[in-house]
Amino acid sequence: MSLFASVGRGTIQRAEYIGGLTIQFYRGVAAAWRANPFTGSRLRWASTIQHMAVVGVNALPVVCLIAACTGLIMALQGGAELRQLGAIQLVINLVAVSMTRELGPLITAIVVVGRSGSAFSAEIGTMVVTEEVDALRSMALDPIEFLLVPKYIAMLLMLPCLTIAANTAGILAGGIYIYFTLDMGFALYIRAMLEALLLRDIVSGLIKSIAFGTIIVHVGCYEGFHVTGGPVGVGRSTTAAVVKSIFLIILADLLFTAFFYFFWQ
Amino acid sequence: MSEPQLPGSRAHWASDAPIISVRDLVVRYGDKTVIDGVNLDIFSGETMVIMGGSGSGKSTLLRRIMGIDKPTSGHVFIKNVDIACASEEEVNDIRRIMGISFQSAALFNSMTLADNVALPLREHTNLAESTIRLMTRMKLSQVGLGDAENLYPAQLSGGMRKRASVARAIAMDPEILLFDEPSAGLDPIIAAEIDSLILKLKSAFKMTIVVVTHELASAFLIADRMCMLRHGKILASGTTEEIRQSTHPRIRQFLDRVPDQGAGGQDDYLQTLTKI
Repeated sequence: MSLFASVGRGTIQRAEYIGGLTIQFYRGVAAAWRANPFTGSRLRWASTIQHMAVVGVNALPVVCLIAACTGLIMALQGGAELRQLGAIQLVINLVAVSMTRELGPLITAIVVVGRSGSAFSAEIGTMVVTEEVDALRSMALDPIEFLLVPKYIAMLLMLPCLTIAANTAGILAGGIYIYFTLDMGFALYIRAMLEALLLRDIVSGLIKSIAFGTIIVHVGCYEGFHVTGGPVGVGRSTTAAVVKSIFLIILADLLFTAFFYFFWQ
Repeated sequence: MSEPQLPGSRAHWASDAPIISVRDLVVRYGDKTVIDGVNLDIFSGETMVIMGGSGSGKSTLLRRIMGIDKPTSGHVFIKNVDIACASEEEVNDIRRIMGISFQSAALFNSMTLADNVALPLREHTNLAESTIRLMTRMKLSQVGLGDAENLYPAQLSGGMRKRASVARAIAMDPEILLFDEPSAGLDPIIAAEIDSLILKLKSAFKMTIVVVTHELASAFLIADRMCMLRHGKILASGTTEEIRQSTHPRIRQFLDRVPDQGAGGQDDYLQTLTKI
């Protein structure tokens, strides 16, 4: 009986979580539409631009550095195998395609989860603990519109930009390997890379990054809004935000990759 | 068990229909009943103090009156709108005539005091920025913080933060002002300052003021009427004089600050710890 009870309780809790997240997503999109550039109020745009700087511009160096390292790792690992087949020039295709389709969006999202997803959850969680969220509601202001929407819009604009930067950094780092092993000029590398890449590769990566951004903001804010138990709860929710975001990002990545594999070849 | 109710005579200037009317309010968290069938009328222009010990459900009751959380059952009518089952838009309309000062002040830490007070004005009115700034300065000087408008909440003392939260609560000139533990955690001098601020607001603006507190001295100073809450039920309500002269044993215990029987003896305490 206790097994059934625990399985049942676990299932209900997951269902409740997904339900809550879906409702928040719906309200977030509706509120984001209300605060769109043409009718949105001045205050929210100031906050959006501030978040764009924090989420996007400030994350640029670390995202580029990590993406460059990943690009180089890919080239080294791929080179070691492909050399045996005498197809070392395929390293260019490997790096270009895997960065744009997969690793660029994924690594950017994971870095941004660590930097911003946790910060969103901590910020909102602290506001819940100090009754600031209640204060917002008592002033007839919607916390979703006031707190979530600026973050969401900033994320939707900045994560694809960061992903493009990460793609570039990774591919250029792959070029360094090619330059030293194949003695291939950089211009030639770029040309070979452009031949290997299709627009579809880049676009599918950017579609993924929009989905990842949605997950980061909504999971981070949801965890924040549902903090219970004071400052300890804030810590717990921050951890949960990061872990759940990463899990959902990987899951979404799998779904999108499968979708593109079957329907967009 | 019958609930002893003292006759609820009202302050002489209060109008006839209650502005806030709580009917059969029940709040349950799981199996625990926090508010158990509360009925309460608050009339326009009076100051009602809700008293009770820790865990008596007074803050829970106030949160339902604010419309922040929904009750398990029952009704809260504010100006004849039942905010317990009204839509979010209707509740938001009611919230614009209410100002709330939270226990923890709940100022937005990322904004200056001036921005905190100006926030409801910026969001809900079409006033020009210069007018908003003027009104903000006015509200802050009303609470004695005229020279602190560019400070952040973290730079203020607890008493200043409390006063700033009052300034924000009165920013929209509300008809109803709610206070959650206005003097909790403040030293007696600053607590007295907050009391005199409440009295000033009451005489200057004829606002309906609801205060939740367990501080006896301040309760008797500011109240027109008060009610005593225990275990989620109203033990008594009436004017300050009626409460002061009440013979109800629990109210006497609260007013005379007598500890609960059994909680005092060390042997009893040890016994409760070792009991399996």
